[in-house]
Amino acid sequence: MWAMIIKEFRQLRRDRRTLAMMIVMPVLLLVVLGYAASFDVKTISVAVAGPQAGAAQSALRSPFDVTLSSPGQGRSWAQDQLRDGKTEMAVVTGAGRPLVLIDGSQLFAARAALTALAGLERGAGTSGTADPGSAGGTSASLATAPRVIILYNPGLTTSDIMIPGLCGVVLVFVGTIITSLGVVRERQSGTLEQLAVMPLRPRDVFLGKIVPYFVVATVDLAIVLGVGIAIFGVPFRGSPAVFGLGALLFLFVTLGIGVLISSVSQNQGQAIQLAVMTLLPQVLLSGLIFPLSSIAAGVRWIAYLLPLTYFNEISRGVMLRAEPIAALWQPFLFLALLGAVVVTGATLRFRGYLAPAGREHSGRKPAAVATQGARA
Amino acid sequence: MTAAPLAQCLGVTRRFGHFTAVSDVNLQVGPGEIVGLLGANGAGKTTLIKMLLGLLGTSEGEVALFGEPPSRQTRSRIGYVPQGLGLYDDLSPAENMQFSAAVFEHASPGAGDQHGLPESLRPYATDLVGSLPLGVQRRVAFAQALSHQPDLLILDEPTSGVDPLGRARLWETIAETADAGAGVLVTTHYMEEAGECGRLVIMADGAVVAQGTAGQIIGSAQVVVVAAESWSTAFARLEAAGLQVALAGRGLRVPDADPAAVRRALGDLPATVRQVPATLEERFFQLASQGAAGKAVA
Amino acid sequence: MTGQGDRRAVSDTSQAPGHDRPAARAGLTGQAASSAGSATGGEAGTSSSRFGASELFVLYGKTVALSDVSLSAPAGQVTAVVGGDGAGKTTLLRCLAGSLAPDSGTVWRPVKERVGYLPASSGIYPDLTVAENLDFRAKGYGMTRQAARERAADYLDRAGLTAAAGRLAGQLSGGMRQKLAVIAAMLHQPELLVLDEPTTGVDPVSRSGLWWLIARAAADGCAVVLATSYLDDAERCAGVLVLDAGLPLASGTPDEIVAAMPGTLREVAVRPDGEAAARAWRRGGHWRVWEPGFGGAQQPEAIEAEQIEPDLQDAVTVAALGQLLSAGRA
Repeated sequence: MWAMIIKEFRQLRRDRRTLAMMIVMPVLLLVVLGYAASFDVKTISVAVAGPQAGAAQSALRSPFDVTLSSPGQGRSWAQDQLRDGKTEMAVVTGAGRPLVLIDGSQLFAARAALTALAGLERGAGTSGTADPGSAGGTSASLATAPRVIILYNPGLTTSDIMIPGLCGVVLVFVGTIITSLGVVRERQSGTLEQLAVMPLRPRDVFLGKIVPYFVVATVDLAIVLGVGIAIFGVPFRGSPAVFGLGALLFLFVTLGIGVLISSVSQNQGQAIQLAVMTLLPQVLLSGLIFPLSSIAAGVRWIAYLLPLTYFNEISRGVMLRAEPIAALWQPFLFLALLGAVVVTGATLRFRGYLAPAGREHSGRKPAAVATQGARA
Repeated sequence: MTAAPLAQCLGVTRRFGHFTAVSDVNLQVGPGEIVGLLGANGAGKTTLIKMLLGLLGTSEGEVALFGEPPSRQTRSRIGYVPQGLGLYDDLSPAENMQFSAAVFEHASPGAGDQHGLPESLRPYATDLVGSLPLGVQRRVAFAQALSHQPDLLILDEPTSGVDPLGRARLWETIAETADAGAGVLVTTHYMEEAGECGRLVIMADGAVVAQGTAGQIIGSAQVVVVAAESWSTAFARLEAAGLQVALAGRGLRVPDADPAAVRRALGDLPATVRQVPATLEERFFQLASQGAAGKAVA
Repeated sequence: MTGQGDRRAVSDTSQAPGHDRPAARAGLTGQAASSAGSATGGEAGTSSSRFGASELFVLYGKTVALSDVSLSAPAGQVTAVVGGDGAGKTTLLRCLAGSLAPDSGTVWRPVKERVGYLPASSGIYPDLTVAENLDFRAKGYGMTRQAARERAADYLDRAGLTAAAGRLAGQLSGGMRQKLAVIAAMLHQPELLVLDEPTTGVDPVSRSGLWWLIARAAADGCAVVLATSYLDDAERCAGVLVLDAGLPLASGTPDEIVAAMPGTLREVAVRPDGEAAARAWRRGGHWRVWEPGFGGAQQPEAIEAEQIEPDLQDAVTVAALGQLLSAGRA
């Protein structure tokens, strides 16, 4: 038995991918769950509008952070800021009670805002007398029980924000994991060389391999959306065209990553390992579960490298807030660029397999060495 | 054979449900003998080997290894090299040998930490097995199987894929082992290898259809050789007559027919038709086809 | 016979000879070429489609996979490339089939549509059925459904695979899978059929089925090149090229290779001692000793040693030995 143990250790020592997984995964989870991730929102971005904007701004202390102020604007401007994801809360001042709009699609920020508002009201109620000229007067204006409306997800239900996120996860799953398996299968069974010799254009092979996964991903997406809308009552308020375009771009990115993974994997086991290593950070850090703003800054920058982060913005924005494409230009641009890079890389690597290997590939081992036991 | 056989099968039969994989096989391997086991895929060779190794039980009959039924103790007196060589690709030969030595619980002969690797393999001792050429891998696999000094060697296609000179060298090692008193059972598909065995056992459809030396098995079997100017026409005509035809350099050989039938099939085509002794392969083919009479050739 | 198609010379570097060299090149393995003519007798058109390779060099990093290897593959003939594992057979066949570009040298092959290839790993999808695999191959080569169906049915029938047409290829025995792989490679009636070790590991009964398919392809006018480590395969072929560690050891018809073996061969009962041990090898229970027969001392201790007629296996072993001895590595 001891002999088995020694042997396994020796083999493990040389299996770099598994080693990486064994070390990287726990570290990643530790960093994320222990340090970075949190459901506590520390700051809530606010836009203030209306004639008493300045006063409202002074009244809103931490955890609120007034990032936009526009005294000349009114409710519809405020609402637009929320819709376009620019702030999580908006205050509209004017004659009568101030109006507080909270973005329900930012679930944790919304809850934190409600709590903080309640705290403010209590504080204002017990603090000094109303004194028109002093700061107390301004808090009085806020303290006059603002009307609070929660937009986009009035019930603050979790499923409403999870389902749009799930759409992205499905696309990552099919795009990256399943695709990487499908392409590496070709390498494993040795049929890739046969394809290289047949009169097929590399383009035919590449597209032919990817299109089925494209179709499967689209069907999966439709199912998730269908079930979400019909059974969980998740709204779809925005433009299907914008959503569709975002999904398409995102799918290109994930499919491309899947092909790239398969091009550096010798077998399905390796492909899965690598695919899982790209899936896990995305699930944890893209804002799917833990809100982006509450992830520690030291780790948050990673989120901005992950494609799912951008798609989540698109899917939540369009489905819950009917966000227009103009406001979503950042995610779209990022996905488009990333998609172009990834698909180009994947195509080039793929084409490399199907062209006659030449001098540039002189590092490859001849296939003749691998025939033992292949024929039984 | 005067000494007690090292491995013996008496009336061994094995069924899987309705399917009979091995049927009433008698086989023995004595010390110093090299016995070749030949047969088509599905003939039952693998099942028989598994029963000999003790990995599978019999439905009927007895298997005896060193005079007793197969057990963990008898397993340690056997050296087995499967077709896939049984080596770990991601370990070095030295590490493979260490593992095997520890498992068989024997003190490795051989100096220092070379663990019984023969001198000629020492330069490769620390490379990963997966990176070594096949010929070297085979030699490592042999060394590993021999390192615990087995009394019985079972080798599955030992020289598949090796060049003629390399094959001769590997067979020298096998022969030396037999000369030292071990018994060797070899399974093979290749007639070149069959020629190295002292005795052959040919299986078809689970039963033994012939046993003896190559000469005994071929006996007086003959085949028809056709030499024609236009070989492709001859080929086509013989085929059309339903005869099994094999290409042979400049001529054609028909293993399963008499000269008259061949002449008839050729018709008016100018060709010489004569009979020559069969090769072992052709005799095998005749036996295997008869053994499979009535069934589709798998 | 079969259509000509374009023959393209695929050359890679400055060393590549021009189009007018092929005729001269053929002289190198000229025996194979001229005997092809006689072996296939009056078959028309054999001299017009000449496929093959000349002076190929292939390097993988620092390893020399092929060094100055030439091969002639006449139509209507089966040419064998013989050697053990690592000899360079797969590399040579990949160059012929077009999936590898040599570092130097020239390859003559028809266009992709007219090449059939069986790679070392069979090139068959294990998770498709026999019929589906052939269907994919037929479509990939642009065959009409009708033609593909008919030819496939014919080949499957002769190979004994008709009953297995609906079975997953991964569930076939090794011999059946190889037969399927050969059928898939020749389905579209290529002009050049390149088969990498089709018979390795295959049982004798299936092997005869494979050889039927190969003979049929050659009979239809195809140029067949097959790689094998088995000399009884090579003995059936009209042309043979023997490779060892990337170098050409011998070429020609089997008879020519035997005739060209230098020196003589003796058979002795026990292994000789001393220097002769390096020139001896075991075969069939006895030992064979090779006398190079050029210069050097002749061993007078030829007691009870009869001179024997070498066969192809002996000639190839001698060629390999000669190579080793001259490189000082025996």
